[in-house]
Amino acid sequence: MLIKVRAFASFREILGRERELDMAEGSKVEDLLAELCMSSMRFREAAFDDAGLLRDYVLLMINQKRIDPQQGLQTELQEGDEVAIFPPVAGG
Amino acid sequence: MIEITENDFSLDELVRKAKSNEAGAVVTFLGTVRDDGIEKMELEAFREAALPELERIRDEAAGKFNLKSVQIVHRIGSLAIGENIVAIVCSAGHRDEAFQGCRYIIEELKARAPIWKKEIGKKGERWVGHE
Repeated sequence: MLIKVRAFASFREILGRERELDMAEGSKVEDLLAELCMSSMRFREAAFDDAGLLRDYVLLMINQKRIDPQQGLQTELQEGDEVAIFPPVAGG
Repeated sequence: MIEITENDFSLDELVRKAKSNEAGAVVTFLGTVRDDGIEKMELEAFREAALPELERIRDEAAGKFNLKSVQIVHRIGSLAIGENIVAIVCSAGHRDEAFQGCRYIIEELKARAPIWKKEIGKKGERWVGHE
């Protein structure tokens, strides 16, 4: 199934603005992040600490809704979902 | 009006939109690029998520503070020192409500709207709020 990944700010500089990943049925958000880590060492270093935990400044949305940075990683993805990855916001 | 735009805006025009016969007060907030030893600032938004978030913030403020009108414009793109970043214009029956509403909106915008800024200086670049 195809999942669209959109990245913003510092994560856009690492991953590019947008990409599509072909994930196995039943894949979770954590599987998608693992896939991105496989493709980019820079992303792995920016997004995960040495213990393999997601850094607390990594924020995630699925279809424009924020997900919990810990429990949300278990969320099962659906065909056509859009996952956004970004650092803490700083508008204004 | 709620807008995220690469173009500059006219505060006078936003004030004109906010005024009405029911409003006795119009409060404006204008955020601009401060010279912190930087050369310019680059702003980026997740527009599809930021616009609905700004609408929610507007609706919350309008309900809490009985606002008659709310105008929000946020710029993206490359901005030089002194340029406008964001304008918030609130009108209400009385000044207290307009001041409080305007304050609420800018604070919530900064905390919630998916918008980012990067300072570009002679010595390098830095995403604000991302240490």
